[in-house]
Amino acid sequence: MTRRHTPEETKQAMHLIVGEMYDRIVKGEPPTMTLPVRTKNNIGFDKKLGVYKYGKKQSIRDATSLGSAKQLLRALHVVEFIEEMLVAGKSSTLREMYYISEAWGLGKFGSQNESNNLAEDLEIVTKCLREDFKLRPEEDGARMIGNLTLRERNRRGEWMRINARDDVGDSGYGVPYNVEAEKIELLEHDIDFIMAIETGGMFDRLIENGFDEEYRCGLLHLKGQPARSTRRIMKRMSEEWDLPVVVFLDGDPWSFRIFASIAYGAIKTAHISEYLATPSATYLGITADDIVAYDLPNDDLSKKDIEALNAELTDPRFADGWWQEQINMMLELGKKAEQQSLAKYGLDFVTETYLPEKLAELGLA
Amino acid sequence: MTGIAQKLASNQKQVAISEFFEKNKHFLGFDSLARSLITAVKEAVDNALDACEEARILPTIRVVIEKIDVKKDIIKLIVEDNGPGIPQKSIEKVFGQLLFGSRFHAIRQSRGQQGIGITGVVMYCQLTTGRTTHVRSKISGEPTAAVVDIGLDTRKNKATKSNQGREIWYNEDGSAKEHGTEVTAQMKAKYQKGRQSVWQYLRMTSIVNPHAEITFTDPEGEVHHWPRVTERLPTKVEGIKPHPHGIELGQLQRMASESTDSRLTVFLRMNFSGVSARASKELCVAAEIDEKTKPKSMNADQIRALLEAFQGERHVKGKPVKLLNPPTNCLSPIEEMLIKKGLSKTIDSRFISTLTRAPAVTQGNPYQVEVGLIFGGNMAADKPVEVLRFANRVPLMYQQGGCLLTKAIESVDWRQYGLDQPGAKGVPKGPAAILVHLASTNVQFTSEAKEALADNGEVIEEARKAMLEMGRGLRKHLEKKKKMAKTKEKFELINDILPAIAEKSAHILGRPVPDLAGSITKIMSAVISETSTTWNKETKQTDVMITLFNYTSRVRAYTILATWPEKAGAEMINNETGGRKEATGVWAWKLPSLEPGERTVITYSLSGLERGDWTETDVFFRGSQDVIGASKMDEKFLEEIRRQERALSDPGDADSTPEEPAEPMGEPTVAPPTGQTTLFGGDV
Repeated sequence: MTRRHTPEETKQAMHLIVGEMYDRIVKGEPPTMTLPVRTKNNIGFDKKLGVYKYGKKQSIRDATSLGSAKQLLRALHVVEFIEEMLVAGKSSTLREMYYISEAWGLGKFGSQNESNNLAEDLEIVTKCLREDFKLRPEEDGARMIGNLTLRERNRRGEWMRINARDDVGDSGYGVPYNVEAEKIELLEHDIDFIMAIETGGMFDRLIENGFDEEYRCGLLHLKGQPARSTRRIMKRMSEEWDLPVVVFLDGDPWSFRIFASIAYGAIKTAHISEYLATPSATYLGITADDIVAYDLPNDDLSKKDIEALNAELTDPRFADGWWQEQINMMLELGKKAEQQSLAKYGLDFVTETYLPEKLAELGLA
Repeated sequence: MTGIAQKLASNQKQVAISEFFEKNKHFLGFDSLARSLITAVKEAVDNALDACEEARILPTIRVVIEKIDVKKDIIKLIVEDNGPGIPQKSIEKVFGQLLFGSRFHAIRQSRGQQGIGITGVVMYCQLTTGRTTHVRSKISGEPTAAVVDIGLDTRKNKATKSNQGREIWYNEDGSAKEHGTEVTAQMKAKYQKGRQSVWQYLRMTSIVNPHAEITFTDPEGEVHHWPRVTERLPTKVEGIKPHPHGIELGQLQRMASESTDSRLTVFLRMNFSGVSARASKELCVAAEIDEKTKPKSMNADQIRALLEAFQGERHVKGKPVKLLNPPTNCLSPIEEMLIKKGLSKTIDSRFISTLTRAPAVTQGNPYQVEVGLIFGGNMAADKPVEVLRFANRVPLMYQQGGCLLTKAIESVDWRQYGLDQPGAKGVPKGPAAILVHLASTNVQFTSEAKEALADNGEVIEEARKAMLEMGRGLRKHLEKKKKMAKTKEKFELINDILPAIAEKSAHILGRPVPDLAGSITKIMSAVISETSTTWNKETKQTDVMITLFNYTSRVRAYTILATWPEKAGAEMINNETGGRKEATGVWAWKLPSLEPGERTVITYSLSGLERGDWTETDVFFRGSQDVIGASKMDEKFLEEIRRQERALSDPGDADSTPEEPAEPMGEPTVAPPTGQTTLFGGDV
């Protein structure tokens, strides 16, 4: 189980990686770094945690090719950099680390993607969180609106009480990148469920139509593939307040993936799925059925869409009957539809007809 | 030349020059306004190059083209050379007379086989602009230059001269001109750019004449300069007598009628190449003519019979008369190294391979094929490669598709050598240029236009073989490049990255920096060779260093082979590792066993080369384990070199000599005698 580590524990965990490299050299072997295979072929359902986690497949990154050797050297630089931050009590964004690596000579990163991936690698191998490493993303979290109240520690270190309906403007409450207990405390709420929404347009439509008040829910704008903090706060609200989470997305293969990362855990972050995923989340729509049932304006599936759907058919997270049916149906239809295609029937159709009908199926309306 | 000359001679009496010109302009090279200009430049530049070659002067040629009247397409052309100059009384002959001299009996490789000559240009100018051509020429030792305007009297079909005089010729820098000739002509013509242009003609000329310095000022005033890259003039070619296999009836008739020999055998021996004393007698027997017959007195039937004996249609003792091949010293190939220089000064590239095949004989005519391939650099990767065709150092610019040289290129499956060639058909695509040069005493063209070489199976095969070998060179280069990149990575890994990993991990853990030797062996797990070929400014030699590292955990043993430009006259010196010559241009060293972690170094220098002549040494190995940075010795490659060696030493017998199996690390081959011997053991 992933948990927070003290600076000393973090340092020890990182030294294990460094020790693996060092010991191999001493033995006259190429240095290595062992880490789980990070593909869909190596994720499995953890019954105890109720989410998908990396399996037992290991890959060994060894210094027999230039690329891998450079990765190892970079990892060492990152470890050293983190240790320095732990000592100095500082933190840095992943992007800052990428720029700092400019000074690492041979160990410098080629792209920011590389540095992000390496930070994840280190999390996986050490079982620490990037928060333990004092690394933070610059990705911005979600927006929230609804009658829920929380406490956030501001820059001056003072706790601020915020109600996400009364104390915010139209853009809602902005979820910070750190939503852990030291930063955010969930206080109270007067809602029945949380609805996560893919697009900003739909989020704003529901607010304008007063959907959150009428249906007593908290609205959360995901901004596409949700950031770690967005998934984390959803999980916390779901667990700490015992609230159902429904997810309202476009009806295409990419939305299916967004849902999987919310409910089951993302492949890239399967090492901390139990920390980020909300297993009780429900996919509300747009489903492949909806495209037919509501006769929604649609687009043809692109070649990439079809590839993605076919990949999902063999993804263990979509192995259950309902998903297989949905994916196959979408492939058969050869169509996809956006959330906002519901506007075909008028601006109020989504709040007056579609969502009430869908929520009724779940017993939430 | 003879064909046109005869035609002109017979036509001249009946028709006006203008009419003749109009009728034959397509094969005279004046069929379009753009081509007329190229032809004019070509005639003038060919003359300049030939004159300089004859006088053993390194040519410096200046070409200027100006637009005089854009609307009427009137262009002024100036071509100036530093040749020996023309004596005043001969100027008229050179520029105004179509039948000046005959190359009839002297068969040799010359540029002048092609085209009508400079007189055609004078005619064309006269006919299109009514203007005369201004000639200025100075010979060494005379204080002044001769000047004269040459024209043609179209009514009398005769050269005219006017404004004859003498003047002091100053160079642009004010100094007095030593010797040379300058032609200034005005004609109706069009200046074009691109693949068929004066620029391209001069560029190509410069490639195959690396000893020439050419400057071209185009109508926009832009100056193009192709510098001289060698001080070596082309070999002076000897004229040879015709070979019986290459002669036609008319020619034989003429030779017989002009002969003053008293006996047929003497006539045969003295006037033909490849005819020994014994062969001359056998030819008489085969033709059923008394060997004492006076050649002049032979009748038509006898001449025909003799020709049949020449061609092997009449036998002696059931066999055709065996004739020797003609000597091949009448050819002047450009030679590999100079083609390389010519190409590299003109085209920017990463890789150049050139090849001169041994001379061969087809239908009694000696010929020699040379090829060059230039790859990489700024050339377009998605377009067909540039084809550069030459016959006797003269660029061929038209009718590419119908030319034997193009067909030879198309006959190769270039895909296996790293070039794109959809369906293995046509000219390959890729960032490359392919040069093909045919040197011959008798270049056969498809038509009088003399822009495409006629099909000839033997020549095609010879050109094809050359290209296959060159293609192998390209493939090897590309493979080597890949391997070198891989090796470079490995070295970066063990020299830079691994020590950094060791240091950093030791630092983080607060432990001592570990020894890397074991890890390095495991990571490399290979034998690696590194080769450097560098020009040594002080010694004026090319220094070569081949280093072999054994990064495996076992003892390894190899024979290392390296190429060096022996044919270009390079000599291997300071080679302390010893070894021995394996074939022409291939040296071999049998190395003592190499312990794990050990290295061995071979060093030597090459003398007799200039800077830039030799920049890349090919390294091969014999041994069971792969060597990164060297190629496994292809024994077929050695065989081909040996076959060429034999061909060079005895061209007549190249194909009939049984292939001897390559002997690895054999004793150095003894140079075969260079003199010509007959198949029957006698002298030529």
